[in-house]
Order: sequence, then structure tokens, then C-alpha cells
Amino acid sequence: MIRRYHVVAIPIRIVVNNFGDHNPDGRMYVLKENESKVKELVRKNPVTPVELVQPLTIRANAGDIVEILFENQLPFAAGMHFQEADYNVLTSDGANVGLNPSSLADCGETILYQINTTNEGIYFFTDLGNVSSTEEGSNIQGLFGALLVERRGSWWTDPETGEALNSGVFADIHHPFLPSFREYAWFFNDEMEVDDLTGNRPINSHTNQEAESFHGVNYRYEPLHNRLRLVREGVVSPEVEGEEVHHDSWVFGDPATPILRGYKGDPAVIRLIHGASKETHVFHYHVHQWPRDPNTLNSEILDAQAISPQSHYNIIPLYGLGSLQGAIGDAIIHCHLYPHFEVGMWGINRIFDTLQDGSQCYPNGIPIAPLQPLPDRPVPPSPTIERPGFPNFIPGKVGCKAPRPPLGIVGGREMTELERNAAVPNARPGAVFVDSCLGNPVVVEFDVSMIELPIVYNKQGWNDPKGRIYVLDKDLDDVLSGKKEPEPLVLHIPAGSCIRMNFTNRLPHVLDGDAFQLVTRTYETGFHIHFVKFDVLVADGASVGWNYDSSVLPGETIRYEWFADTELKAFFFHDHLFPVSHQQHGVFGAGIIQPRFSQFFESRTGEETDHGTQVTVRNPIIPNYRDLSLFIQDFALLFDKDGKPLQPPDFPGSLADPGVFAVNYKNEPLQFRLGEDCDPAYSFSSFVNGDPVTPILRAYEGDPIRIRLLQGAQEESHSFNIHGLKWPRERPSNDTVLQSQQHIGISESFTFEMEIPRAGDYLWAFETEEDIWNGTWGLIRTFDLEVEDLIPLLDRPLPPPRTEPLPIVTGKPPALADPQSTLPPEVAHNAPIRRYRVVAFQTPIIYNSYGDHDPFGIVFALEEDVEDILSGKKNPEPLVLRGNVGDLVEVTLTSRLKFELFPFQDGIHPYPPVKEQAFYPPSLRISLHVNLLDYDVTTSSGDTVGFNPDQTVGLGEEITYRWHVSANVGTCAMWDVADLRNHRSFGTFGAFIAEPRFSTYHDPYTLESVKAGANVIIRNQFFQAAFREFVLIMHDGVRLVDKQGQLIVDPLAGTIPEADPEDLEVDTYDFGSRGFNYRSERLINRFREHPVLRDLFSSKVFGDPATPVFEAYPGDPIFIRLTNPSERRRSHTFHLHGHKWKFDPRELDSNSQSFIGHIVAGDAQDLLIIGGAGGRFNFPGDYMYRSGNIRWDIEQGMWGILRVHDQIQQHLPPLSNE
Amino acid sequence: MSSYYGNYDAVNTMHDEELLKHFQNGIGCRVFILSPSFPFMFIGEILSIVEDALEIFVETTHFAQLENRTWVMHIDNIEVFYIERPGEPRIPELNDLQ
Amino acid sequence: MLKPNESKEETKLKRDEEGKDDNKEERKKEKKDERIDHDIDKVIQESIETNQDKDIKDDFFRGLVGLIGEEILIVTESAQLNLLGQTFRPIFIGPVVEVERGHLTIFPVTIKILNAPFYQFPTPLSIPLEKIAHFTPNFDSDTRFPLV
Repeated sequence: MIRRYHVVAIPIRIVVNNFGDHNPDGRMYVLKENESKVKELVRKNPVTPVELVQPLTIRANAGDIVEILFENQLPFAAGMHFQEADYNVLTSDGANVGLNPSSLADCGETILYQINTTNEGIYFFTDLGNVSSTEEGSNIQGLFGALLVERRGSWWTDPETGEALNSGVFADIHHPFLPSFREYAWFFNDEMEVDDLTGNRPINSHTNQEAESFHGVNYRYEPLHNRLRLVREGVVSPEVEGEEVHHDSWVFGDPATPILRGYKGDPAVIRLIHGASKETHVFHYHVHQWPRDPNTLNSEILDAQAISPQSHYNIIPLYGLGSLQGAIGDAIIHCHLYPHFEVGMWGINRIFDTLQDGSQCYPNGIPIAPLQPLPDRPVPPSPTIERPGFPNFIPGKVGCKAPRPPLGIVGGREMTELERNAAVPNARPGAVFVDSCLGNPVVVEFDVSMIELPIVYNKQGWNDPKGRIYVLDKDLDDVLSGKKEPEPLVLHIPAGSCIRMNFTNRLPHVLDGDAFQLVTRTYETGFHIHFVKFDVLVADGASVGWNYDSSVLPGETIRYEWFADTELKAFFFHDHLFPVSHQQHGVFGAGIIQPRFSQFFESRTGEETDHGTQVTVRNPIIPNYRDLSLFIQDFALLFDKDGKPLQPPDFPGSLADPGVFAVNYKNEPLQFRLGEDCDPAYSFSSFVNGDPVTPILRAYEGDPIRIRLLQGAQEESHSFNIHGLKWPRERPSNDTVLQSQQHIGISESFTFEMEIPRAGDYLWAFETEEDIWNGTWGLIRTFDLEVEDLIPLLDRPLPPPRTEPLPIVTGKPPALADPQSTLPPEVAHNAPIRRYRVVAFQTPIIYNSYGDHDPFGIVFALEEDVEDILSGKKNPEPLVLRGNVGDLVEVTLTSRLKFELFPFQDGIHPYPPVKEQAFYPPSLRISLHVNLLDYDVTTSSGDTVGFNPDQTVGLGEEITYRWHVSANVGTCAMWDVADLRNHRSFGTFGAFIAEPRFSTYHDPYTLESVKAGANVIIRNQFFQAAFREFVLIMHDGVRLVDKQGQLIVDPLAGTIPEADPEDLEVDTYDFGSRGFNYRSERLINRFREHPVLRDLFSSKVFGDPATPVFEAYPGDPIFIRLTNPSERRRSHTFHLHGHKWKFDPRELDSNSQSFIGHIVAGDAQDLLIIGGAGGRFNFPGDYMYRSGNIRWDIEQGMWGILRVHDQIQQHLPPLSNE
Repeated sequence: MSSYYGNYDAVNTMHDEELLKHFQNGIGCRVFILSPSFPFMFIGEILSIVEDALEIFVETTHFAQLENRTWVMHIDNIEVFYIERPGEPRIPELNDLQ
Repeated sequence: MLKPNESKEETKLKRDEEGKDDNKEERKKEKKDERIDHDIDKVIQESIETNQDKDIKDDFFRGLVGLIGEEILIVTESAQLNLLGQTFRPIFIGPVVEVERGHLTIFPVTIKILNAPFYQFPTPLSIPLEKIAHFTPNFDSDTRFPLV
């Protein structure tokens, strides 16, 4: 079927909330038929939000051909670039890339796009004619939308009227034989220009400083600072503090942000889209859970999803609205990054239990808009006087704080008559309006309190005088007296349990002020949990919308009830009343729903227990295992031992990245681990510096382990890596990719299950530059012989008795490792051996043809290529090695580093900066660590960790690592660990690609055999088939100078047309240049030559970019190997125009998509391109690959071209011709 | 049909019949069964054989809501099993917390 | 907490009333001995005796009988199985202790779970012959090999 839309891009004023905050320079897509209506409405409503002013959301069915007539009314060339669609890149790319003709429309012009909507999905569209990251840009000012593609045969209606719908963020989708469902489009966008009613940048009334930048949903945001003004003015209950009532509709009425409405049990889908432009958000939706990959049930269950710019996900809540337990009420949906949450990035999913036909009102008199029941579901009962339905049975007072729930608080109140009518028959504390536990399963009860106490974070005395943590009541004395070290509370509960939580608030009324924070009256606190099933009205541990305020005052106890219906996850818990104020002080913990029939024991003593970050789990029919929980924290507001604040913000109360980092309230900063020789190569060595105070997981060789990865606080992305181990990404599936790295955002929860094949010390680390520098690492210590204080697993052979003493701290570096004395754990005795000789040395790297270069580059290269590189004959590229499955790969490494060639010989880098820099002189030692391969961690992990021998090499030494390619793991990241501060961002990284057995590697131009390289042809002797392989190494934090030797301070130096003087605040992890494979085609260079935005990607004007241009013929099988070994904490999206791949390359049923989200250090991905070069329809042309971050990646050079030739080229032999 | 193919069908059928007989002989015994189909695991007592299906009183499976009731299981769907007989290794006790 | 279930009692009584299979007592006696030094000839002889259709040749069965006492690696049909949420490929290694015309039994059995590749299940496991995808005899259960 052909569907046609006429879409216009217009400039328009976007009012983002009822306080008059607005974007005067908004740009949006709108349907032609609505164009004059929306302009008229905006003209008439200059200070209130207009419903039609939301990101354009249009729909089609799978299998359609969609023709879009695009009309450009903006003052610059613009277009519509579609993700996920199949289209002819020469006519419908919505961009002007490489040698393609432009498919942008000039000002006043129109252009016709034709796209095929082959699969269901979210076809996000945005503009690429103007990629400026300033207010002059398009995408950043709101120019994005989505084409939602439904199943074949669907049609859609307006949820309020039931009539046909042409566009709109909310729709009910219907189908002849599949269930109808509610569809909600949810567009995150950040960094949009916003002024207040006076036309100035908004002020935060709490701090009296400029407010955080715009972070909103569907062009709306509801920040605390506006609502706080009403409190201060006495318009609403003046006795409140502010943060605790931010989302309270009793006080303020409903927010301007989206309210997703439905009836209990309605099937629903949230189309989660990140429109623009810089941050990685975490989407969290209370009460509900969904499969990570909705196409397959063998996928992890999530309730929080990190999303980076220009990514999208389908959120399909299991069991429909209200989840398994049938909850009703307001379930808040929000970005969990606290500064964003506070500045208004939230909305509500409102679940009604009574029919809404437009005749009812909210308690504040605002009419409740009608909501059509879904046609194939039972109609909900009509409201009556006795049972008015939510929210009208709740005894609240408009203008005052939400009431506290009935029955829940010890010594609290009974139900009113209306509440009793609305309650379930067996209403009890914590489960009044819903039977959370679905009957009478086993009950597990906990008594927990929240307390405040000073916490010391490391041996140097860094401390938080106002640590706030959860503690079991029975441990209160021990923790307060210092007998037990504070750690995040982790409860262990078998699946199938009904959990009763008795929570007592033992905090002081006031959180004192200091350099970091203003005085805050944190007088109430609650216990908000993720993932388990509960009655959101009374047990959310929050105060949302028209719900109760389910928290308590100091000294009071409240009871909650939760149901752990099924297992497998660590559910995060924290306070929801004052999280921005005190979560970073330690207010977080987790409950782990373990397999049914499990029992838990302290690993040291064998005593049975029900809590702890490290326990041993026993189960009668599945393997026993060790369980370790790790909570990464940022915004850790610490003081040194002399009381000096560490990284205080510019003003107290500022949310602009104050503080440092920790894991489980501990950190081990590298600056304190230099040892006598001051050699960074031994920073992780326990021989030199002793063990770290951060968590050490202890196990015996062969033990299965489960690591629960969580983020306790507060805003940033982190990258968790384990050196030497790997785990399946989707636990429920045995056919899933393996990984050694995971990006995590606040409130996400991951479980990694693996076994430890060989004794030794394994490094785990949050390994982006600033994190690990500040101490976010630790060990997994695996013993081969028995130790006294570690109980063995009872279903495994007992460890042999100890015959040698445990290693001790010597203060001296360990002996050099001897990899030739051991073999990797899984290697066959007759494995083929592949050898490489690699040298690390310093040499300048030229990043583009404008002369931007790194004079202090440090690279790895094959020995035979060193001379060519040093003489300037070859411009260095990151080293890419390969091996076939089954190979034993021996890599001999030597170092030719020279101290005088390092730019900062004290290790303090003025740029790119990192928090808390200190003396850390560059190491002349080097190492090469690879992830995902099989090796003995004590000899071949490429790092010197714990009590392992030295795997780094210095001048005059060499080491031959032994790596076994045990599985077809594809892309593996490689990087040096000898000196993460002074080496990595200068180029000490590369990639290793694991190829299928019987593969050979060839140069794509000469067809001759090659030993290394990013662009090769892989031939398989067995299958007689070949494919093209393109290795893309994404990296950042680079320090470049221009042709004249002047330092380039990116990202601002690369901003087009120039950096906004009001906008100069840059986080440490955004600094640095960036690109692919040591190349960066910074658009500012092109713009200076020819200042026309629409031409910036055109090779006809500028020639090809310096970044890799990969070439292929239509239909060529291609594999893209993507990795990011280095090094900043800003996560990137990767997108390739016109092509798609499977979300999980091993799982045939998995989703297909055209982007990879939240890429940070250590990430390694394999993109098997569906249809081969040119996509499904094999269209020839130039396809851009790029980051999805308008701020600040694309301008700064993170893009390149995949060229699919339409005719045979002399220089490029076709694949079949061999 | 050649006798070769005839034997093939007969062998398959015989395997199935003998398996049924084996379960028949286990009536009254406890049994542990793994199946690729939800809910994947069953522990209970063999009650009877019904054509090519097993009638089992299921004490334990993944979810309490599906326990303490009779299930009828198609023999073709039983991937691995263990029938517990006197004097032989016992199927572990599986108890939720009290 | 398990609740008493009336229907179970009822059903059980029914079964008791119907009486047990005569052969069952005999079989129980014979099967008590699961040790490795089982009398192979006896098994074959019994199988022939109890086999109703003496014309059906079953070399597959005979072959398996010959493996009693040996360690085999055996894979069953399904893509994966699930034990309380712990999923695994159905790869089993261990000595064959019992072979009958409908199934074989391994004990002790090592299950190659991805994160616990040397896990020994607490009971013997029986595998219907029709569920066998493939197997290889004489496989050492201590061998470490890739599972992905």
C-alpha cells in the first residue's frame, strides 16, 4: 500500500510548560494540513503549551511504501533522514553525503522521499542539512519526529474520540485478529534552547543561579524550580520543602509533561525515542517491566533502559498496564538521571479503574478527558458515588501535600469509607487497593531503617560526613558503633516470595549545608523499589500525581508489601522523596530475587544469612554460586582528611557534576598507588601497593559466579569491564553474544553469570578515564588451594589443602610473567599457532588533511611496519589483529617508549582534563590487554593486577602473550593497561577480530594475504564464500593541535558556526577530539573553507573525508566490526544510513535496528548487515556512518562513508572474482 | 515398503512403547522431568499412563501457582527424566522458606 | 507452605485399589543394582525375552548396551532446557549405567551449563532414546571445551 504524507518543516515558538518557559527558535515538522492551524494556535497562546506542538508522529504499516512530500520553510536547507527504513540513498537519504546528489530541500523548496517500511518499528527521522550543535541548529531545536510502523493490517484511532488519526503522539492501534493496544510516543530531548517568560535563561529559584539546561519529553518539561516558586509565594502549601512534592498533583495539579492514560490491563507500547542531542538518559517506568528485546522471550527483563541520542526502543510492559498484579493509579515515568529528573524530564502513566467518558473531574476540578476503552477489552465499570474510581476515592486536599496511605504507617489511620469500597477484600498494610502477592505465597519479612553516619571511603581518609544508608534494624548497633563496615544493603530473597518491608526513618530532619549543598529539610523518606510487584498507590515509596505520599517522618515506620513473582534480577531501591539531595550520600541498595529454593551463606564463615554484598548461594538442583553486588556511584560528595571538599561545584546546590566516584562506598584512586618507583604500570599490583579497599570477590577455581551490576547514584554513564572473563548478554538465551563490558546508567540493573576457569586475580573496573583514575576498580580473587576464610561450594570438588603461603605485599614489582609456561584454559592440545610481533612506540598521527594532528601519538604496530611509520611513509592506523576460532595466538610485545617524548612528564594533563589530577609520571612500560578471548589471566591478560605476575614490558624486555580464540566472538577491544592516564588517549589501543575457522584474510585491493588491517576480505576455505570486513574503532579524549601547532580545544573549537558564549560549560568527559581509526573529519575545517551547512558532508565539494571510506559492491556480504577502546565517559550512538543488523547477531529472532546505543570504553560489537552492501534492496550510493550525538560528535569529526559502487571499479576487485 | 524402512518405523515405535512401559512400571514413584516447554520442570508422582501421555501429580514446578495439581504430559515432550525408586538416589527436597 | 490436597489422596487410593503390575516387583529387584559392573549379557538376554516382537532388529539399542560403563557425551534435541531459570544447552556427560529399549540412564551426570560446565546433577538422568540428537562414546567428563 502507498501511504502519502505532506510534511512541512517550520520555525515555531515552542512553549514547554504552563509557566511560560519556551523556545523562541523552535523548529518542528508538522503535517501540511495542520500547518496553519498550529501557527494560529501558537499565535493565540504565546505562553501556554499547544497540544499540536509536539514531535511529529505519523504511522504506516509494515510492507507499505510511504511517500513523503517534504516542504522546507526554514531559513536553511533541510531534509528528513529516516532510520530503519529501506530506501534509495541517492534520492531519499535526507542528506547530502559523499558523491550522492543532495536529497535535502533548499529554503522554500520541496522534495519527494520514498521509503519502504519493510519491518515494524520506530523509524526515527531528523534533519542532516544543519548539524550545528548551537542554537542555530535544527535537530537540537526540536526538528525530529518518528514514523511508527505497525503490523500489516493495522489502523489507528484517537484515544479520546475514537476517530481516525493522521498524526499525534498517542494513538490506539487496532488489528483484525491481534489485540488492540495503546501506543504512546515518548521523545526525550535535551539541550534545546529555552527562555523563561522574561525572555532570559531560566533561573533556579532554589540556588538563584542559572537553571540546568532543558531536558524534556515531547517538547515539555516540568522542573522543580518553577513549582517551587508557588511554594515560596505561599500559593500552595508553604510548609513543604520542595523536592518531595515535585510530582505531587494534589499540590500543583497535573504537569505539562505527557500523561499516558489507559485502563487497567490495557496492552500498551511506549515508543521510546531519543530525539536529541547530547546526553544518555535512563528511561524508568514505575511498576512495570518489559523484555529488552520484545521479539524474543529469551531476553532479559528490564525496568530501566539507557538510551543515547538518536536511539529508540519499544517498551512493551509485560501483562499490560498495571502489570501482573493489576495496579491502578499514577505510575511515574522519567529519566532517572537526577539532575534531569529535577529539571523536569518526567511524565505519568495514569491507569484508571473506572470508565472515563468526560463527565468526571480530577479533585482540583479539571475535567478528565474521555478515554475510549479498547474495543476488544471489557469496558471498565462506570464511576458511582460509592466507587468513584481513581483518583476520587483518595482523601486529599487540593493545594496541600498528598495524604499518607491508610493502614501502612504504624500508628497511622484506618480506611475511609470510600477507600474501603475501593480496596481489595483482604486489604492489609502496604497492599490496600491491589492484592500484590496474588494469594498467599511464602512471606519474607525485613526491618530496615535509614540512618545518617560518617563514612570513610579510602585509606587516605576521603570521607562523607553525612553518609546516609539503609541498614537492617538488627545491624544498627554494629554499624553505628563501627563494628561493621557500612556497605550498600543487599537483601537476598528466593523467587516466589511475598516480601513485607517494615521501614523506619531514623534520619535527622535536616541535611546540613556545605560547599556542595544548600541546607535541605529532608523530613520524610520512603522506600521506592524497582522490578517487584506492588500497589503503586500505597507502596511506591514516592509521592506522584494523585497517589498517596507513601513515605514517613523521622521516627515513624511504614509497611510495604511486594511480590517477587519470578527471579533473576537485583531490584534497585532508593528514596523517591529527596533523592537529588541525598541519594549520592549512599541512599541506595538492592534486593536480589534469587532462584526458588535457594539458601544464602556468608562466604567467610558459612553462617546462614539474608543480606550482604557478597554471599554464597546454595540450591538443591542448580549449581551453587558466589554472588557479588557492585554499586557504582558518582557525585560522591567527599572531603579529604583535612576537611577540604573534593571537586566542589561552582556554587552549593549546583548539579553540574560535583564530587568524585566510588564503588560500594569505597574507592582506590590511582594517584595513591605509584609505589617507590612511581611507575603507573604497577598501579593495580598488590605486591607493590597492597590490595585495594574496594570490593574483592573471593572464589575458588571453577566456581560459578553471578555479578549484580547496579548504579547507586547519581547521573553519569559508566563502563563496567572485567579483564579475563566474559558472560552471555541475554541470560535466558544460550544463543546470545558474549560480552566483557557493559554500559550502565543510574537505576539500571544487570546480572552477569559466568564461571572462573583458572585461579588468579581478575581486574574489574569502571574503566573510562576519569572513573578508574578516581578509584572505581577492584578484584576477583580466585584461589586454587584452600583458604581459611572462604567456604567451598558444596556441589564442586573441594579445593586441595593449602601447601604454600598466600602472597604478601613486598613493595617491589612482581617478576615478569611467563606465558609460555601455561596454556589458556579451553585450548585444544593441537591448536594451530598464529604469531604476531608487536611494537609500541611514539610517533605523530595525522588526523585529517587540514593538518590536525597529534604530535605525541603512541601506537601499536607490527614490527615489520615500524620503519614505514617512523619515516612518514605510512600514516599510523590502530592495530587490528585477527585469529580463527581454535587458534592459539601468540603476540610478542616490546616497548620503544621514550620519556622525553611525553608531553606532560608529571602526568598532569591540562587538556583533556580529568578530576583530581595529581602527579603520575608516564610509564615506559607497555602492555596489551584484549577482551573476550580465552587466556590464563596470570600470564596473558595484558595487565599487572593483584598478586599476578607482571605482564607489562619495559625497555629491552619482551613478553609473548598466549590468547586462544575459543569462540566466534568477533570484535574484541585491545588496549594498553600499563598507563591508562598517559598512554590511552594518545592511541595505545586497537582491535582483535575472531574469525570463523578456516578463514583467510586478504587485502581488498590486491587480494593478497594480509596480516593486519581495518579493511579486509575474509574468505572461508570451507564455505567457498567471502565477505568484506570493515573495522571501525571509535575513540575520544584525543588531544590535537592544528597545522600551526596550536592546541585544538574540542568540542567548543569545533562548534559551527562558533561556540555560544552563554553555553561554555563543558563536562570533563566531553573534552577532547574524537573520531574513527585515528582520523577525524572535523566539520569546522570544511566550514571555514566553504561556509555552507548543507554541503559539509559532500565529497563533491571537499573530497572524501579523512575517516575511513569503505568500499563495496551492491549485495556484497559485509560485516562491520565496531569497538570503542578509549576512553571518556560520554557515551556515543553509532548509526549507519540505509542499513540494518540484528540486535543480537547470534539470535535469529532478535530485533533488527540501524544503530548501536550507549557505546563507551571496552564495547565491542558485530554488525552483520542484512542484505549486504546497499541494504535489503542493494541500492548503490554513499552511506554515511556516524555518531548519533549532535552535541558534540558529528561536527567534531565522528563520521565517515560506506561507498557502494554501482559499477565495477578498476581498483576494487569484486568479491566473486577470485 | 522395503523391510529396511519397515524396521525403522518399527524401531521408533518400539522405543516409544518401551518408554511408556518404563513409566508404567514407575506408577506410584516420584519423578523429575525436564521439558523444553513452559514451565520446563516438573517434580511429582506418576499416577497413570493415558495412551501416549503421563498423568502426574505435580508437587513442584517453577511457580507455586502451577503446583499441587494433576498435569497430563505428552511423552514426546519429555526431554530428560529420573524416576526415583527405593534404595536409589533421592530427588532433592525443594522447600520455599517458611 | 503446601496445602493438603484432597484430590491427590483420592487419586492415590484409586491407584492402590487397582493393584500393581506383577512385573513391577521383578523389575525393581533387577534394577536395584546400578553399579558399573552390571552383567551385560543378562541385560541383553532380558531385553530379548521381554521384547514382544523378536523380529525387530535394534542395533542402535544393542550398540548402546555395549556402552554400559563407558562415559559418553550425549546431546538431546531441544535448543535449551531450563532449571529454575538457569538455562543450558542439553549437553550431558557421564557413564551409562542403564540401557533399556526406551531410554538410557547416566550417573553421575555432568551438565555443561555455560557458567558451570562441570556441574554434577544430584540424581541420575534418564534420556528417552527418541530424544537423542547425537552422542559420542569414550568422552572424558573433565574435558574443557567451548560451549558457545
